[in-house]
Amino acid sequence: MDLFDRLKELREKGLDEIDKAKNEEKLNDVRVKLTGRKSELTTILHSMKDIDPSDRREVGQRVNKLRDLFNAKLDDAKNEIVAALVEEQLAKEKIDVTLPGREMHLGTKHPINIILDDLEKYFIGMGYKVVQGPEIETDHYCFEMMNLPKDHPARDMQETFYIDSEDLLRSQTSGDQARVLEKHDFAKGPLKMVGPGKVYRRDDDDATHSHQFMQMEGLVVDKNITMGDLKGTLELMAKHIFGQDRETRLRPSYFPFTEPSVEMDVSCFNCNGKGCSICKYTGWIEVLGAGMVHPNVLENAGVDANVYGGFAFGVGLDRFAILKYGIDDIRDFYTNDVRFLEQFSKEER
Amino acid sequence: MLVSYSWLKDFIDLDQDPKDLAEKITRTGIEVAGVKHPEEGMKQLVVGHIIDCEPIAGTHLNLTHVDVGEDEPHQIVCGAPNVAAGEDVVVALPGARIAGNVKIKKSKLRGNESNGMICGLQEIGFPDNLVPEKYAKGIYVFPEDADVKPGQSAFAPLGMDDYIFDFDITPNRADTLSMEGSAYEVGAITDTPVKVEDITLKEDGPDWTKDFAVEVDPELAPKFYLRKISNVKIGDSPLWLQRRLWNAGIRPINNVVDVTNYIMLLTGQPMHSYDARAFKTNKLVVRKAEKNEKLTLLNNKKVDLDPNDIVITNGEEVVMMAGVMGGLNSEIEADTTDVLLESAIFDSTLIRKAALRHANRTEASSRYEKGVNWDATTRALDMAAMLLRNDASGKINEGVITGSSEKRQPVQIKTTISYINKVLGTDISSTEIAAIFSRLNFKAEINNDELIVDVPARRWDVAIPADLVEEVGRLYGYDNIKSTQPVLAETHGGYSKKEEAIRRIKNIVQGQGLIEAISYSLTSLEKAIGFSQEPKKPVEVQMPLNSNRSTLRQNLMTGLVDAASYNMARKQNQLAIFEQGRVYDFENNTYNEHEHLAALYSGNVYFENWQNNNEKIDFFYVKGQLTNLFLALGINTDDVEYKAEVIMYMHPTRTAGIYIKNKYVGMIGMLDRPVTQSNKAMKDSEIYGYELNLDVIIPLILNPHTTAQTAPKFPAVERDLSILVDQEVTNQAVEDVIKENGGKYLHDLRIIDVYRGSHIAEDKKSFAYRLTFLNENDTLTDTIVNEAITSIDSSLEKQLKAEIR
Repeated sequence: MDLFDRLKELREKGLDEIDKAKNEEKLNDVRVKLTGRKSELTTILHSMKDIDPSDRREVGQRVNKLRDLFNAKLDDAKNEIVAALVEEQLAKEKIDVTLPGREMHLGTKHPINIILDDLEKYFIGMGYKVVQGPEIETDHYCFEMMNLPKDHPARDMQETFYIDSEDLLRSQTSGDQARVLEKHDFAKGPLKMVGPGKVYRRDDDDATHSHQFMQMEGLVVDKNITMGDLKGTLELMAKHIFGQDRETRLRPSYFPFTEPSVEMDVSCFNCNGKGCSICKYTGWIEVLGAGMVHPNVLENAGVDANVYGGFAFGVGLDRFAILKYGIDDIRDFYTNDVRFLEQFSKEER
Repeated sequence: MLVSYSWLKDFIDLDQDPKDLAEKITRTGIEVAGVKHPEEGMKQLVVGHIIDCEPIAGTHLNLTHVDVGEDEPHQIVCGAPNVAAGEDVVVALPGARIAGNVKIKKSKLRGNESNGMICGLQEIGFPDNLVPEKYAKGIYVFPEDADVKPGQSAFAPLGMDDYIFDFDITPNRADTLSMEGSAYEVGAITDTPVKVEDITLKEDGPDWTKDFAVEVDPELAPKFYLRKISNVKIGDSPLWLQRRLWNAGIRPINNVVDVTNYIMLLTGQPMHSYDARAFKTNKLVVRKAEKNEKLTLLNNKKVDLDPNDIVITNGEEVVMMAGVMGGLNSEIEADTTDVLLESAIFDSTLIRKAALRHANRTEASSRYEKGVNWDATTRALDMAAMLLRNDASGKINEGVITGSSEKRQPVQIKTTISYINKVLGTDISSTEIAAIFSRLNFKAEINNDELIVDVPARRWDVAIPADLVEEVGRLYGYDNIKSTQPVLAETHGGYSKKEEAIRRIKNIVQGQGLIEAISYSLTSLEKAIGFSQEPKKPVEVQMPLNSNRSTLRQNLMTGLVDAASYNMARKQNQLAIFEQGRVYDFENNTYNEHEHLAALYSGNVYFENWQNNNEKIDFFYVKGQLTNLFLALGINTDDVEYKAEVIMYMHPTRTAGIYIKNKYVGMIGMLDRPVTQSNKAMKDSEIYGYELNLDVIIPLILNPHTTAQTAPKFPAVERDLSILVDQEVTNQAVEDVIKENGGKYLHDLRIIDVYRGSHIAEDKKSFAYRLTFLNENDTLTDTIVNEAITSIDSSLEKQLKAEIR
């Protein structure tokens, strides 16, 4: 048989075999058979010396061309098979992406601490130090130093939890003011502090009373602090917590440790000042007490009240949280129902 | 204090809308908690004159004809026991609205048409405690002096057309617990002159001062004055006075008692009237009570007097708890003719404590405890005497007996205009400041910057320059003060290192999916000392609200267990909660507070899911969370040791004490079965938790400083090691041997399997470990690793009798 015819035949047969190989293994066998070391094509190439010299060039070219063709076809076939395999695998691996994921608990901060952290960060940004004092406080710091005389009603056993004649569970964080004032070295600069913490009062627990709650005390003392500074500071804080469009106002009030003393109202965020049940139809909600530090408080702590003065304020954190989140029972803060607590995860700042 | 708008008009010209005025008062002086207009919500209530009144047979009802100012009288059926012909009464006409938004219609009762209703005071909005006793169970009848005409509105004669301000008075402003004080305040606020009238009293009875002796301890009563009024005729007070009393929240009683109450409302000076028959001894003594003395008060309360109560006696027996309430034995009665009238000032603290002690706070005691006007004592006495002559036709005996009459130095304050402006942050002129003090009726003298103010005795709250700053500030108007920010030398704000560490720790556990709880610090003694290795001396409060809130906690776990119980009772069984807070004890002769962290877990790691991947929370899940916390805090896990320990309320064989660098830092484990089993909600639950003393941990994690290292460039070699050991050999013991003998390239050690069971001997268990070796500077050779492994194997065999598998 003519070598050229044989090559033609090889070409047809080879292509047909490639076509029929449907998996990688068979395809590999075909590759060996068609282009391997023992393949007919290789054999032809190795026996060129037996071919008519005038045909040698032509045969060599044809054999190489055919081998290139086989290789190309084999590669294509292989790619097809791999693609089909991948396709099959992917089909097997298909999932219903609409099924829900596995959920775990979402950690949350307690709502009172959300308010506290927010306030602390706000005041830290304004250059205030956060100071923590003892909860088991002495009568001396809690009352005496804060200008509450011995027979003041707040010092009654009925009002405050006494542990012994001198020690008590603090009923206000104001004692921290006295402690800091005593220690502060005014030669090193002004005093700016906030003092948050738990306080205790001998109240029976109900929707609006709690024997334990949280306060934050603020104190700024230097040589030229004014009531205008107090007003500006409180206004900015109220807007930070309750919203930039809130209005505020000061009203006269009374605290033994400040003079003048004021209370601050914020325009009702529920009705925007029109009057509703939350603001008792006044348009305003009382949010905190404040004032200019009473000279006796300064003098008691050894600070010259003729030179130094300042302002102080006290925030009820429970009250802030109650107002901000519309909570109607203060006991909700302390029963720790996870369904109640979880809802505040979105309030994190 | 309830302040009547119409009464205020006795002192000041007022033409403002009462609600606007209330707002102004709130902003400038006293918080007005509310403004009540008694007629609000009611209509068509008129005065009616009962022409005739016949009982309807077989009923308790009466058929009346009432002149209501119309052409024809109205026929009205009335069931009140005190209805009678000739009475002037309050009639709700058909179409009227009475209290509770009730509408009155024409109706038929027992076949008789009834065109309206004759009203009792309760039916038109009077609270029970204000209705005069004789009208308590029937209709109201106008007294003869009322001067009412049929058909006129009933609102004005009853004072229901008034506006009543509810003054929410701060303790310093007790001067406004009187109409005169309130008038001065409102006058200053509205910049209106105030007329307060003085009186000159003409005595018309005999001199009584020689026949009666008064002994007063001036420590108890620095001021004490007594008058005698004879020949009084007890009866009702005139309507105008009754009206003022009930609008001030005081029930009219009789013309003597009403006068004392009226004068107290007017001047703020509490007054008391005694039936002179209680002083047959002709002697009155003010002293402290003696042990075992008793008194029955006017409200029928029987009181065992305390040696710190001030009492009034007739020299033999106690007739009054001074400043609080009179005794039944000296009460003004219908047949009283001679009255002793007392105007005094008692020690405020003793009065406050007595009222508190006997749970008997009164209008008088609350005024005494907050202080009264030092200048009003005798004036009030004279005014009351005059009214007793007018209203009860008494004779005022000549002379006042003075038991004590301590003097008080008038208050003069010196300050400067510039000081006031400096504190307020304002620039108020001296003219404006002078005007403010004139509005307050304070005498002020201004010389250039200097300001000298004479404070009237009625404003005993004003004593120092800061008080003047407040008076100027509030009347100038806090709205008019410009908001500024303090201009100060720069300060560096921030948390203390400890607070920062606490916040870091809280953020980590919150990131681990824990919900933050806050519990009460006060708990029961039993709970307070539970969950601890060795309880310290507990801190108890002296007068707890109840035994469940008697002791300060020494652990946080107890609060979390309470929370778990609460939640589980509400079917919330998947719990992951934590608390960070303080615990308290008494040790080394001082009260101590320690910052703790506790966490509680129950249920599964994941919520219920369709893959049924319900990994149960167990000891090792919680321990893993804790390990992650320690790692995040930079604590070397090699420094952390867990030792099986017995801790109160914790499972005896599933609980460990945690030690870092050999210091006890807390515990981890499962709640003991008796704790969960005894609680219905927690029954059959496995609850795990841990509690850490942050005061010990924080010093170990302060100042973390990371010097960056490049990741290792050479490959690590892993070898697995499987051994068989006796049951009681702990993982810790094995790891200790491995680490000790693993050579310097042993980089990581991890237990990957623990097996106990049928394939090995009963008293044995098998452990499998994965050991990772790494040389940071070179490729490790097998020889080096094999040497390490050989050393480990032989040590395990020798020290723990381990069998290498």
